[in-house]
Amino acid sequence: MTEAMIRLEQLTKRFPGQSEPAVEELSMEIPEGEIVVLVGPSGCGKTTTMKLINRIIEPSSGRIFLEGEDVTAADPDQLRRRIGYVIQQIGLFPHRTIHDNIATVPKLLGWSDDKIRARVDELLETVGLDPSRYRDRYPKELSGGQRQRVGVARALSADPPVMLMDEPFGAIDPITRDRLQNEFLRVQEDIRKTIVFVTHDIDEAIKMGDRIAILGERSVIAQYDRPEVILSQPADGFVEDFIGSGASLKRLNLARVRDYELGDWPTGRVDEERPTLLAKLRASDKGAILILDAEGRPQRWLRPRDLQRPDASLSDIGLVVEAKVEPQATLADALNELVRSRVGSAVVVDKSGVYAGTVDMDVIMTAAEAMRKAARADARASMDAESSAGQVR
Amino acid sequence: MSADVQTPAAVADQPVAPGQGLWRYLAMPCFVAVALGALYLYVSSQELDRIEAVRLTPEFIAASTVRHLYLVGVSTVLVILIAVPLGILLTRPFARRVSPSIVAVTSTAQSVPSIGVVVLLALFFNLGVRIAIVALVVYAFVPVLRNTMVGLQQVDESVMEAGRGMGLTKRGVLTQIELPLSVPVMLAGVRTALVINVGTAAIATLINAGGLGDVIYTGLVQNRTIVTLTGAVLTGSLALMVDYIAGIAEDVLRPKGL
Ligand SMILES: Nc1ncnc2c1ncn2[C@@H]1O[C@H](COP(=O)(O)OP(=O)(O)OP(=O)(O)O)[C@@H](O)[C@H]1O
Ligand SMILES: [Mg+2]
Repeated sequence: MTEAMIRLEQLTKRFPGQSEPAVEELSMEIPEGEIVVLVGPSGCGKTTTMKLINRIIEPSSGRIFLEGEDVTAADPDQLRRRIGYVIQQIGLFPHRTIHDNIATVPKLLGWSDDKIRARVDELLETVGLDPSRYRDRYPKELSGGQRQRVGVARALSADPPVMLMDEPFGAIDPITRDRLQNEFLRVQEDIRKTIVFVTHDIDEAIKMGDRIAILGERSVIAQYDRPEVILSQPADGFVEDFIGSGASLKRLNLARVRDYELGDWPTGRVDEERPTLLAKLRASDKGAILILDAEGRPQRWLRPRDLQRPDASLSDIGLVVEAKVEPQATLADALNELVRSRVGSAVVVDKSGVYAGTVDMDVIMTAAEAMRKAARADARASMDAESSAGQVR
Repeated sequence: MSADVQTPAAVADQPVAPGQGLWRYLAMPCFVAVALGALYLYVSSQELDRIEAVRLTPEFIAASTVRHLYLVGVSTVLVILIAVPLGILLTRPFARRVSPSIVAVTSTAQSVPSIGVVVLLALFFNLGVRIAIVALVVYAFVPVLRNTMVGLQQVDESVMEAGRGMGLTKRGVLTQIELPLSVPVMLAGVRTALVINVGTAAIATLINAGGLGDVIYTGLVQNRTIVTLTGAVLTGSLALMVDYIAGIAEDVLRPKGL
């Protein structure tokens, strides 16, 4: 394995006047380019752990390595300029414009005004805010979700190799949160930062994390592994309880529609004759045929009895196709759509809305089976690796 | 001068409806102009005796007003120069232990009636402008100190933490975040201090430091109501106008985006 981006060695924090340490002998490695999610019950020390990494809180003992360099005693102000930090409450500077907020670290680093301006605009685009509209606004002139985006943009400003994000999508409604999560994952595919991400929401952890560390009291690691392994092989009762019921359902959050073979329903075009369509439908074992428009975009579900009504035009009868998902949606999204759909199938469409296949119960079951097998193989492999590593020592 | 003016509650800025904006800016000068105009008409309509005539010359009144403003101006600048840095020091982590007692002591000093302060100082020191200014500084000190401290303490912890987390130095956090964000509260304290000082400076005449108190006091001593009235109306108008201008300064200096 290559040198970890962040390495914590026996990190302990004892707050003055408290008998129990808030973080006790925490050792962990955070690989480069991955999102590591710290998740655990309230008060277990997630935020403290995060602040120990950029030394907002000074450790009582233990050491911190960044890119292989011991930074436990480095100048904290210099250190923090290399680490992007998104705090839970966002903490935008209310008296500064969005531009100036994002420009904070570049200014500290002495960038030229032109370079800063270009960088700010680029970042605003990245987080989906139109620079010309938002650059000169003040934080109070933005919605909560927009502020959250600015908070992320500000943390990215000087292109730090490492980002610490403490419940960055905490205080927003579920729909916006979902969108921000998706957008952030999309951005991360390009920027490949090393990210420590704190949440107390296991579903968010599963969605965002390349790896998840489930923490107990005093930040003691209960399990640190890839999400699929945690879901299929919880280390102990604590982890099991924390995942809660429905681990197999949660695993569907890890699978993308595009990675699985899609179901195949009969399709026809609006300009086809009814007997032809009926024949196609009869030839399949399904209860409805999907009608596409001239560009191949799904229009309607027609059942046999719809096709037997000679009077109405094809574009008026049957059921409107409502349950649609894109290939990068998760199987959980697809399952959700499927359950809502009256024909028992979610339609997969590409970016331009063209029909790409369907997700029905068979697809989900096959996928679940495949995931189960993969997770078991994974767990066996990591156990083998551990035991062989043990022999080397 | 009631003590409740100095609490930061007086700081809360009421949002102004758009249509009221201009009226808000014009109302006070109009009112003061009307009051002064009425005073002028009243005084010129009266038969003045010799004593009154000596006291109500434009030269005497102008000189008293200028001296009054001088006392207020110098003392307020001194208060700001002493109380703001002290307030900053007392809100730093290392001062957490001592700061409550210092605030308590200064508050006690202020609760002594202003005449008491002036007379007390006059007993121990010489009479004159300097001692008057010292008295004014003592008296206007607490609102500025307290508002500086409250202003700094009310700065959102998360904003400061975000600043620290981005690599701002402690000094950077103070100058770029804490001070700008506490400007409105501090200014409210300065405004209070100014108004207190306009009132208290009227007592400076007791220690021979001049000001509009001269006008009021001679009127009282020589039993000339019209002179007393003139001095009182002028002092009141000055207080209103100083408060008004300070209010505008507050609006102008408040950082945008708050
Ligand atoms: N500055 C501090 N002084 C003293 N104790 C503290 C301080 N900060 C945190 N603690 C204590 O340390 C423990 C861990 O706190 P921490 O904020 O890290 O929890 P957390 O896991 O982030 O919880 P949450 O999910 O509620 O944010 C808590 O018991 C808390 O009371
Ligand atoms: Mg926390």
